[in-house]
Amino acid sequence: MRMSVAKQVLLHVVVLAMIAGLVFPVLILVFNSLKTETDIFASPMGPPHAVTWDNFHRVLTDPRFATNLRNSAVVATATVLLSVIVTAPAGYALSRFKFRGRTVFSMWLLATQAFPGIIMVLGLFFVLKRYDLINRLPGLIIMHTSFSMPFSIWLLKGYFDKISVEIEEAARIDGCSRLQSLVKVVFPLAVPGFLAVATFSLLLSWNEFFFALVLMRDNAHYTLPVYLVRFLGSGGVVQWGPLSAAALLITLPVFVLFLLGQRYLVSGLTGGAIK
Amino acid sequence: MARTRPVGHPGRSWTEERGAIPFLLPALAVLCLVSLYPLIQGVSRVFYVYRALTRQDVFSGFENFVLLFKDPVFFRAFGNSLVWTVVSVAAMFFISYVLATMLNSRHLRFRRFLRATTLIPWAIPGVVVSLIWRYMFLSSGPVNAFLSAIGVANPPAWLTSPQLALWTCIVANIWMGLPFVTIMLLAGLQSVEGDILEAAAIDGASYLQSQLRVVMPSIKKVILIVLTLEAIWTFNSFDIVFVMTKGGPGSASMTLPLYAYQNAFMYYQAGYGAAIGVVILAVLLLAVVLYIREVLQ
Repeated sequence: MRMSVAKQVLLHVVVLAMIAGLVFPVLILVFNSLKTETDIFASPMGPPHAVTWDNFHRVLTDPRFATNLRNSAVVATATVLLSVIVTAPAGYALSRFKFRGRTVFSMWLLATQAFPGIIMVLGLFFVLKRYDLINRLPGLIIMHTSFSMPFSIWLLKGYFDKISVEIEEAARIDGCSRLQSLVKVVFPLAVPGFLAVATFSLLLSWNEFFFALVLMRDNAHYTLPVYLVRFLGSGGVVQWGPLSAAALLITLPVFVLFLLGQRYLVSGLTGGAIK
Repeated sequence: MARTRPVGHPGRSWTEERGAIPFLLPALAVLCLVSLYPLIQGVSRVFYVYRALTRQDVFSGFENFVLLFKDPVFFRAFGNSLVWTVVSVAAMFFISYVLATMLNSRHLRFRRFLRATTLIPWAIPGVVVSLIWRYMFLSSGPVNAFLSAIGVANPPAWLTSPQLALWTCIVANIWMGLPFVTIMLLAGLQSVEGDILEAAAIDGASYLQSQLRVVMPSIKKVILIVLTLEAIWTFNSFDIVFVMTKGGPGSASMTLPLYAYQNAFMYYQAGYGAAIGVVILAVLLLAVVLYIREVLQ
């Protein structure tokens, strides 16, 4: 089927306009982080008249920012590692074995997506309290892992489905035990799947706000999203310059990692949904 | 040889049930501890009411639900949550479908680059998205500056207007959800064979007809899972309303998750918060059941 030149031009114009709508708000954030407070309200949309680094300087010299950055990094790293380790065998089992309750297990994984945060946090509150984990990073790591697991298992099942059983059986004939063939043959082939899970759980943990807000009680234990909202709430007038700088600094690390990992995540998500 | 489902030796290893147990055990144990158990514990909170006088949670049967059904703010929040979810998901689906169709076109240049650019909002934390849009909709912010520039006399105060506050939050939510929906629909569209579209064109189907009668039915599975997941996530969403309006002015933009949070953690009514949570859970489990019924058919 061919398309007239006019239609092709229209196609490009509409796509570019829609993508501009997705990018423009982020651009405004970048502009604001480089503007003085008066400049921000003198020209709410345009680029800065004179670039200032004061906003970044203010955030980067705030000791609380460093502490909360460290907390976010610890929680996200632990969540990523735990998610991959715990879900790898489960995704494998769901892909390879037929067992009773398999359908129920799959549906349970979907249903967990529907559990309201408020119920989970009230329920876990008592567990965490018993082990003295309120206002502590491990408590938050547990919550984040529990929320990333169902989706991660589903993602990994899709990747294991793509690895043919014959490869594994060939390894077994060559004298590998099941565990050896799994570790030496299957897992290396499933690395893109692990990267997909890592990207997904990293985004989830780094960006998560609700549990961090509820479970963490003081500055020393906040993560970056809570830092940002406290920043917004402190002292009457909102200072958009420093706030935008903080918002950008929070987004940047995970944004770079997302760019690196997105193709694994995208192929994992879409591969699972189409089958 | 590619197989969609592993078969192995019939009656041996792969279908052996006990073989699956060691692989499933870690995930099952963790899920029971941090998902099933908290769910049961959390739901059980609805039967308790906090008495300030004795500073104790007292068993009180269904008192929280009785209070809930007399609470006008609860009904307001319930209605808002429905509007918030239905409008957000419908708009995300419509905009994403159009965008995905165009990103799938053979005639589009720089397709790879443009597809990657579409993902940008996905990587941005919810609280940052909320801040960006709170700034966009300030009375003296970019949106109103633009409206003034094109000659609108009195642009509204979006975030403090009882009529507009919820809709302003919906805009932010749609923006944040577009990448996921677009990328999933795009993957679905890529799996549609060109032949069936050409066949439809030869049969004289218009563009819209062939989309509605040929393309959409053949990617029904993707559409269903995307709509279900996005509806669940949106109904449960907390960040945007919390940062942009705090549910205000009054309770004009109050949603159920925010109201549950306020009761449980600001007014110390954990039982009441849990009761709101149970209502959310009931609505969402209904959505999951509808999805499963549709898929199993």
